[in-house]
Amino acid sequence: MSKILVVDDSGLARRATRMILENAGHEVTDAQDGLAAIERYFLDKPELVLLDVTMRDMDGLEVLKRLRDLDPAVRVVFVTADVQSSTREMADAGGACGFIVKPVSAQPLLSAIAAILPEVGP
Amino acid sequence: MILSELQSDAIAELINIAFSRSAASLSELTGSRVDLEVPEVSVHPIAEISTELSRFVKGEVATVHQVFSGPVAGDAFLLLNFDGAVHLVDLLTDGDVPTQGLGASAREVVTEIGNIVMNACLGVFGNLLQVRFSFSVPHLSLDDLGAMVNSLVVEKNPMQHALIVGARFRLRQSEVTGCLVLVLGIASFELFLQEVEAWAERSLKGD
Repeated sequence: MSKILVVDDSGLARRATRMILENAGHEVTDAQDGLAAIERYFLDKPELVLLDVTMRDMDGLEVLKRLRDLDPAVRVVFVTADVQSSTREMADAGGACGFIVKPVSAQPLLSAIAAILPEVGP
Repeated sequence: MILSELQSDAIAELINIAFSRSAASLSELTGSRVDLEVPEVSVHPIAEISTELSRFVKGEVATVHQVFSGPVAGDAFLLLNFDGAVHLVDLLTDGDVPTQGLGASAREVVTEIGNIVMNACLGVFGNLLQVRFSFSVPHLSLDDLGAMVNSLVVEKNPMQHALIVGARFRLRQSEVTGCLVLVLGIASFELFLQEVEAWAERSLKGD
């Protein structure tokens, strides 16, 4: 089982992702904006952050930058509907370890997590 | 119309996904990165849309109109502020098409932009809600926002509702503001909400 932080301004996306992860045995916390995400990251110390890109006030790319400034070992997977190749390139350049396109369904999400966190597993 | 929390959350996420796809289409079309702000979504009776629209567009607006039919049928309008429409034409044509007053060639370009953006958006609706839409040929009008709203309100049944999505996005340091307006009859709106709820339930099951 791994501890995962879900960051998304959509209540539905947070609930749906939480349900998939908890059913697979993961422990989940969530945040609905960038500042709350940074706070939760340091409170909960998750092994992985699932991060939306398009959010109010601070977008996911900026959240990733701030998290990496504070913890270079942070593992972030973007979960976004933004399919622009430039977004994927910026995510890669920022140090993201994965990129999943919304809408999310269980199998691709869990496979991506298993590939990134092989040492923990559900 | 009062939406339940589930309906409201689901529509917001559906719009987020659909607008992100539209932004990607616009990015491909213009060859520029599109930075999209979180779209603002609201539902209003048709007679009350003026105030909401004026939060996003003012003065002269370029409106691309497409009728869509199928189980959920209605009218889709993409409203762009005039300067934004000119900017998009410049980006798309590398300045080769004169944009002063938006002449015939520039209008064709704006119409095609509207067509691609609305099809990307409604295409996502169709795929996720499992509803098939057919589209009419798009038409462009250039008008003052007030006149555009008046013609829309007069033409439509007052019982109809409008789903308004306001979006601000930036291309090459310029902000373009626009609105997508979907006008639906009561039966179509109810079916739309049912399909949205069904999609939300599927999402919560991880399907």
